[in-house]
Amino acid sequence: MKQDIPADVVLSVTKLRPDEKLLLEALRARGLTVSVALRRDIGDLLNGAAPPPGVVLVRNLSHRDAASIAHRLEQLGVATLNTTTAIDLCHDKGKQALLFQSHGVPHPRSFHGFDRSQIRELLETIGWPVVVKPLSASWGSGVVRLADEACFEAWVGGCEGIDANGRMFPVLVQEYVAKPGYDLRVVVVGDEPVVAIRRRSDDWRTNTHLGARVERTELTAEMRLLCARAVDLFGPGFYGIDLVEDTRADGLMVLEVNANPEFARSSVQHGVDVAGRVADLLCQRTAERAVA
Amino acid sequence: MTTTCDCLVCDTALETRPDMEKGEIVECSSCGQEHEVVTVSSTHVSVEMAPEVEEDWGE
Repeated sequence: MKQDIPADVVLSVTKLRPDEKLLLEALRARGLTVSVALRRDIGDLLNGAAPPPGVVLVRNLSHRDAASIAHRLEQLGVATLNTTTAIDLCHDKGKQALLFQSHGVPHPRSFHGFDRSQIRELLETIGWPVVVKPLSASWGSGVVRLADEACFEAWVGGCEGIDANGRMFPVLVQEYVAKPGYDLRVVVVGDEPVVAIRRRSDDWRTNTHLGARVERTELTAEMRLLCARAVDLFGPGFYGIDLVEDTRADGLMVLEVNANPEFARSSVQHGVDVAGRVADLLCQRTAERAVA
Repeated sequence: MTTTCDCLVCDTALETRPDMEKGEIVECSSCGQEHEVVTVSSTHVSVEMAPEVEEDWGE
């Protein structure tokens, strides 16, 4: 990325997926100069070999890389669309659970389990079934539903086999939410929810990476309210906010907020130009910085 | 104009174009190895092995 003229926007990526290609097209269509940056290009930027851009959109797939890049850019004085605080929160389901709890945002009852015996104690508090999640996993990986004592013993045995030193802990131990066959993903750009989809699956996990089907649904006042409460905590940015409905209770809950939402495949289904909305926000951010 | 670049595994010529973007993934038509475009100029595209999924990848 060695160049003399600073880009309006740098797109920091692990690789260029259809999502990032849509973002590139949308940004260029609005007349912004855009550079794609792989990790070493970010190194050039940090080392002074490339001029600092107006704003960076961090789209790295690795949570470790995304957080590391965002924090270093912050020290350099370069703005990222999602703040470092938001990125850190989005990478940790445990921190999110504590944040939601302390601010009264509806969220499934969640606890930290620092070892197996603590999880066993939590099981008595929560009752079967429970869901155990790695704090920073995505796409449904590592998420298990433990229905009874036999499941728990099997999970413990599996963990001991591959993680004798307990490096996977702490984990999030969460009450199981009996979803009505789908969850909701709301895409937020800035502070505005731009589209809501149902992710429907026969599996209890409703991640599209696990094959969930996408259906557009109306943005309700309740969805807008919960998203507004989440944005109040995370700051304006670009998010995929997951909401769940418990068939045994009234109302929606915020399950988690994602800082690097995928949208290319679902945009084909729902027809909302998510990339265009993000590009508009980045135009606004670069214009604001130019004035400042 | 075409650019030439070979598969890092089997040396088959990869289908690259001068209008490719950095970060694009190019799959070898022969062995299937994925490559990532790391530099692009009007006459040259260079690639490295594409990054593989790691446990901390995600949204």
